[in-house]
Amino acid sequence: MMEFLEQLTNGLARGGIYALIALGYTMVYGVMKLINFAHGELFALGAYLGYCLLVTTNLAGSLGPYLAIGLTIIMVMGLVSLAGHVLERVAYRPLRHADRLAAVVSALGASIFLQNAIMLVWGARFRAFGSNLFPNFLITIGGLKIPLIRIVVLASALLVMWALRIFIHRSRMGLAIRAAAIDQKAAKLMGVDVRQVITVVFIIGPALGGLAGLLVGLYYGQINFNIGQLYGLKAFTAAIIGGIGNITGAMVGGLLLGLIETLGAGYISVGWKDAFTFVVLILILIVRPTGLLPERVVEKL
Amino acid sequence: MKKLGFLLTLVAALGLLIGLPVKAQAQESIKIGVMAPRTGDWASEGQDMIKVVELLAEQLNAAGGINGAKVEVVVEDDQGMPRTASLAAKKLITAGVVAVVGTYGSSITEASQADYDEAKVLQVATGSTSVRLTEKGLKLFFRTCPRDDEQGRVLAENIKKLGFRKVAIVHDNTSYSKGLADETRALFQQDQEMTEVFYDSITPGDQDYSATLTKIKAASPDVIVFTGYYPEAAMILRQKHDMDWNVAMIGGDATNNLDLVVIAGNQAASGYYFVSPPALKEMTTDSAKKFSVDYETKYKSQPSSVWAVLAGDAFSVIVESIKAVGADSEKMAQWLKTDFKNYEGFSGPISFNQIGDRVGEVYRLYTVNSEGQYIIQ
Repeated sequence: MMEFLEQLTNGLARGGIYALIALGYTMVYGVMKLINFAHGELFALGAYLGYCLLVTTNLAGSLGPYLAIGLTIIMVMGLVSLAGHVLERVAYRPLRHADRLAAVVSALGASIFLQNAIMLVWGARFRAFGSNLFPNFLITIGGLKIPLIRIVVLASALLVMWALRIFIHRSRMGLAIRAAAIDQKAAKLMGVDVRQVITVVFIIGPALGGLAGLLVGLYYGQINFNIGQLYGLKAFTAAIIGGIGNITGAMVGGLLLGLIETLGAGYISVGWKDAFTFVVLILILIVRPTGLLPERVVEKL
Repeated sequence: MKKLGFLLTLVAALGLLIGLPVKAQAQESIKIGVMAPRTGDWASEGQDMIKVVELLAEQLNAAGGINGAKVEVVVEDDQGMPRTASLAAKKLITAGVVAVVGTYGSSITEASQADYDEAKVLQVATGSTSVRLTEKGLKLFFRTCPRDDEQGRVLAENIKKLGFRKVAIVHDNTSYSKGLADETRALFQQDQEMTEVFYDSITPGDQDYSATLTKIKAASPDVIVFTGYYPEAAMILRQKHDMDWNVAMIGGDATNNLDLVVIAGNQAASGYYFVSPPALKEMTTDSAKKFSVDYETKYKSQPSSVWAVLAGDAFSVIVESIKAVGADSEKMAQWLKTDFKNYEGFSGPISFNQIGDRVGEVYRLYTVNSEGQYIIQ
């Protein structure tokens, strides 16, 4: 039983990270019907910027761990959303009226460019967040020992997702995003500034991805230039499991994927973990081709 | 007078223009290929391999080259992927190399072996320890690294010597890692005293091994034997430390990388054992000591692992054989098998047996101390 609960927390923390990245895929897809393949690289950029701020400039040493990490979170989210905005301007906006395939190719190109840019800037070696950056101790809940950082990862993922949900459903901008997701042309006719909506989407999505990158750095302590690819693929899978274009779906899909992976590894076979994950994906797609939460188009986003 | 001076200058300039290409043509350079993972998962290994070989070639050319001919190093990136390796091999063959240094991973080397063999290019692998690479009987294939069965033997011997009896074996499904795990496993199965309580693989690159660790913990082994590479070993050490589990861990030579301690942190890495050929700084040969200084001067760092240094040894082996019998791959291979004995390489004396494997004891048992330094036992 203890082992099961421990595996459960393993899975939830990993799932929280997947969910954060999946949100970026799903939001962009919802509004633009475009799969932003460069999103994984924005996530990696977040991890590296976090490394730069926390380790290279030794922010944690001069400000104390909690303040430093709080500040880093804000700065990383800001910088990555800036990068996302530039990406949108350079790689996607010129192709807004072009064939959809052209935008997909552009996305793949941006992904390769960013990945190699990261390698050239930070090098091919693994970068390590020191293990002493964050006061990591075990919290004991009824005999179950959980590292603090695992709780922090899951809590911040849930908090951000909750805030995003409020934003999408309660604010005027959120209403505009939902409108643009349903029908861009109609939204435009009703006076919604679709260009601005897209800009906002390309700020929120990358910011969440960047945050996930920083959390991965803090949680696992090791990053390299191609983590974007691995996490990108997994998060994309999560977005599809949940029903791409659906925000709640991305959250559910992410957490579910994390759990499937860990429990599959824990109880079936470690080596077959990824195969198992994709079998589940295929089964879900056979039963529900549009994902777990295929809401009616009207409710999308 | 002025006119004469102008004429002289003109003649000199013309002479330079005509003379230079003539001179270059007279001395045809010898092309030696390097196939290494410059990008991809093993980029840091590959980049060090290239740096080592380029520095050696530079020193060789400054000292006059091979019998007066300059050596030209042609680098191709195999990205650490089998399908790219075959492509890289074809590019090097087209470039007209006589011999190739590389590559790092066994499965990647394997994908390129047939190409080189068909094109009659001598191949000296540097980090590819999988047994079957030399068992195929390819005449032009050599390696400067030891084989997995040798490593498996040393690993099993040391595990027993350290007093561990219940072992959990974990590999990462690459041909190197699985090969080593199976070698070690087979030795334990013959041994009544040893019990295997866990055997499974992890996915490399996948950062979260807490699920695996939780599962292994339930089997309560004395030691975790991990036969994969350093990034995963470091993550396992760190996550093991995070979950407050103090079981011993031992690994193979792919974990001999200075970054292991950086990633895992001193506390988590402390007490970790591994068997490996010695790193450049610990090599006792004079040539290695000198090269370590030269490398530091040029690149302001040390090669992060032993494999890059073995690439240097591979390059020297090729150069020696060309010096002896000329740039003919078949003659070179024959010479390396019969007349090349106890050459003083960076990693100690180098000789080859009839199938191209390196002969001699290379492995040491290391442990990581509480300051994160690697100590030879």
